[in-house]
Amino acid sequence: MVNLLRLPGARFLSHLAIVFVIWAALMRINDGIDPLMSYYLALAAMYATAMFGMVILVGLSGQVSLGNGALMAIGGYVFALTSLNWQTVPILGWQWNPIWSMIFAGFGGIAVGLLIGWIGARLRGPYLAGLTLGIAVGIPAIATRFPEIFGGETGLMLTVPYPAGGYAPAAETVTIDEAPLAEVPLEQAPLDEVPLEQAPLEQAPLDTETAGAGDMLTADNFPSAESSPAAGDMLTADNFPSAESSPSALALPSESALPNDIDPTAAGDALLAGSAFVLERWQASLAVTAACIIGFFALNLVRGRQGRIWRAVRDDEVAAAVSGISPAGSKISAFVVSSFFAAIAGAVFAQILSYVGPGAFGLGLSLSLLVGVVLGGRASLGGAIIGGVLLVALPQLVFNIAGDRGWPANVTDNAPNLVYGLLVVLVVLIAPGGILGSLKDGTRRLLAKSRSAK
Amino acid sequence: MKYFLPLTDPILEMVDISVKLSGLQILDSVSIGVPQGTVTGLIGPNGAGKTTVFNVISGFITADSGYLKVDGKKQKHVQPHHLTKKGIARTLQGVGLFPTMSALENVMIGGSSQVRSGIIAQALAMPWTDVEQNRLRAQSMAVLGELNIADAANRLPGELPYPIQKRVALARALVSDPQVLLLDEPAGGISAADISELADLIRSWVPKRTVLLVEHHMELVMEVCDLIWVLDAGKVIAAGTPDEVRRNPAVLAAYLGEDGAT
Amino acid sequence: MTTFIDYLLGGLGSGAIIALMALALVLIWRSTRVVNFAQVGQAMFTTFIALSIQTWTGSWYVALIGALAAGAVLGVIVQYLVLRPVKRSDTSGAIIATFGVLIALQAAAGMIWPGGSQAFPQPFNNSGIEFAGRVWPISIYDFVVIGITALLVLGLTLLFTKTSLGLSMRAAAFNPEVARLSGVRVSRVLTFGWALAGSVGAVAGVLVAPVSTISPNSFDILLVFAFVAAVIGGLDSLIGAISIGVFTGLVISLVSGYSDSGNAPVVALLLLALNLILKPEGIFSHHKARSV
Repeated sequence: MVNLLRLPGARFLSHLAIVFVIWAALMRINDGIDPLMSYYLALAAMYATAMFGMVILVGLSGQVSLGNGALMAIGGYVFALTSLNWQTVPILGWQWNPIWSMIFAGFGGIAVGLLIGWIGARLRGPYLAGLTLGIAVGIPAIATRFPEIFGGETGLMLTVPYPAGGYAPAAETVTIDEAPLAEVPLEQAPLDEVPLEQAPLEQAPLDTETAGAGDMLTADNFPSAESSPAAGDMLTADNFPSAESSPSALALPSESALPNDIDPTAAGDALLAGSAFVLERWQASLAVTAACIIGFFALNLVRGRQGRIWRAVRDDEVAAAVSGISPAGSKISAFVVSSFFAAIAGAVFAQILSYVGPGAFGLGLSLSLLVGVVLGGRASLGGAIIGGVLLVALPQLVFNIAGDRGWPANVTDNAPNLVYGLLVVLVVLIAPGGILGSLKDGTRRLLAKSRSAK
Repeated sequence: MKYFLPLTDPILEMVDISVKLSGLQILDSVSIGVPQGTVTGLIGPNGAGKTTVFNVISGFITADSGYLKVDGKKQKHVQPHHLTKKGIARTLQGVGLFPTMSALENVMIGGSSQVRSGIIAQALAMPWTDVEQNRLRAQSMAVLGELNIADAANRLPGELPYPIQKRVALARALVSDPQVLLLDEPAGGISAADISELADLIRSWVPKRTVLLVEHHMELVMEVCDLIWVLDAGKVIAAGTPDEVRRNPAVLAAYLGEDGAT
Repeated sequence: MTTFIDYLLGGLGSGAIIALMALALVLIWRSTRVVNFAQVGQAMFTTFIALSIQTWTGSWYVALIGALAAGAVLGVIVQYLVLRPVKRSDTSGAIIATFGVLIALQAAAGMIWPGGSQAFPQPFNNSGIEFAGRVWPISIYDFVVIGITALLVLGLTLLFTKTSLGLSMRAAAFNPEVARLSGVRVSRVLTFGWALAGSVGAVAGVLVAPVSTISPNSFDILLVFAFVAAVIGGLDSLIGAISIGVFTGLVISLVSGYSDSGNAPVVALLLLALNLILKPEGIFSHHKARSV
């Protein structure tokens, strides 16, 4: 009998189908949830994108890296710098498009991944962990050292490349002409949460320019850095923990003020813009799409020859070498792939935040990627997805519990990290496969039991 | 006296190889040749340097002096993972299988050097990568079948009996269709019946393949080898046909010396 | 030239502290083949305990001794509850677990001692000494730091060379199997190593706190510097950790003096990368960092 799944191209089609179904489902969900949930979806998808790389690097190739947050910074900064400069000056007649900046970000990640992988491939566990720890601290430090290029401690404000005509839920279809009053998203926006006074007035140009401008993404449609500081101003520097205001280099981002502080203003932006445009929904669709494309690559690699090679080198370098595999080459390739993924995630993160800065890409981000992938399950891509959801949901859960119990702020703020730390230790000791690994083991054991019972 | 016997048509040659590791002279100007199409044995008491010879040939250890010739060509910068490309495959002491992979996957890893498609084609799951994998899978299944262990294909090494694991390891070396096979103690830890089967198997490969065999099990060595090199304390002390080696007083002394010491 | 010497003198104190922290990392690596990335977390935690003791008793000496004891206890707890049960086959597990401990300790400290960065009282005068008509960039406190470090190093040297306990520790680190056969109670000796490292790290924390501030994350950068020093020193070598630790302090001082203190982590990273490329096994070690 011919195994259909072994036919040439079957893997491509089946993986594409899996990814497409997930993508379509998430996009559908994104249209039906309120903006805050969309924002969380965007973050979870962004984390998962980076953690697909962690699964390959830590899980499959067995290299513990603490530097992937810094690799995300590479992607974020490359995206920011290319978009800021390119938006104003077309290169060789090419108008800027966010896709180009994301591709550049990916190449930046590949280049840095090659360099780190080349040094790191020669090293055993703790040496590599220490090197990547240094990278997690050192790369953001480089950003602060050259403020004229990287914006220093305050970072760089980005103009988010909004799509022309705004992002409306698919159910409403794109009714650009009727844009001024779209009912559904408005009602869904958490009105009580929106501090209206705070919302900047500069939203106006965005509204007028984009309305009826068609679907083309042209430079004119984007508020460029000079003409409209709108997007930049929404996120005042105060919203971001700079090194002084928050010396917590190790604090996981969930704890930092980042996500929660942005929400209200961002929601206000959507409201005041008075169109169907809901920023969070657009962010989520961007992040989900990027995660699905990266997830497709990851799925192909992990469930193919390359995944087998990474696992072989992790299991036994000597046996892999005599089988014709270069251990160093395999480790470097894992680094390059994971840093490409991280860079794309970083570019998405930059667009979600409309900002890049050393505070957002610190050691805390690197550590949270490690935490997420270890808790979710470091050996398979599903673990990265679980990890992404966990990194977003767990702090909220803890905050909710803490809020109900009326714990003081210092306890509440630190509770998620305490839980993360203890969970990581417990998972390593009791269930090295993480949540997904335990679920798989559990079902396997149940199946075996039911089989033996028969 | 460089060689103990005239070598015709050596496919693999070590010339004056010396290796010093943390102050100890492990190999002292060792010259060994493996004639094409033969089973050549490498024996000696423990610590004689047999595995070091394999490690030098595979490139895990760089010799301090001397050189290596494969098919008459002098080798520079030997790297372990280039071995299979030169038509040489090696088994490891014990089994050295990848514990998290099925027997079939283990064997497929052995065919890595035949795969051409790069990482970008892999990431995009291009159809030709499937063609390659299917070919490799079929080859691997065929080798498993030749060794009568096809039904072990989807089991993890840990679930298989030790002699079967050793065969999987053998299959992983064979799948690259090597001209030269370096076998490191293939009879270690397996039963007498399995050993006689192994002897038949090894003889069935020649003269198509050439075998270099490191083995403690003397009966096997005497039965299958055309030519035997004897190492003691990092030096070649004897060489010849099994009968010649058996009668050589120096060999006897080396082994008795070891017995006397333990 | 005088500025150069000034920068060097100014780096001695921080060099001594980096050396101590690197020493703590090396002590644990030698005995259990684990780089304890939670070391700075433990040091931070015990420094907060020391701060509480100081506030309560008003004595810096009592606080220092309290930190020593608390450091030892915390080291034993971490080894006993976390590192000992890690599966040997899970090579990444031990590394990940130490980071889990670090995250948990920092969060716990944030819960117990709220209020972010806190000042640790200056036990001694920390302004430059006036001598020969000028103010030198080295203070009485720097001398205290260097003195305590020297005392600790001397004590450890005596422990390892003159006592049977030290001999057992070296034997257990060198070859646990043989040590066990010759009657060394290896696991107890390893635990003692963790206690010792915990104390050394705690001293480093108490010494650095008065010249910086103390917060749950304030020692993170110290971890990077100490790791750099320990690795360049060879991870196995006590002498390496101390000398490269002091050297790292001097380099940081020079970099901060001639350019900007913000460049220090970048320079440390470059030093580490250079070392890992050129001599991955470290300067003072004969062991190989390479795996094949």
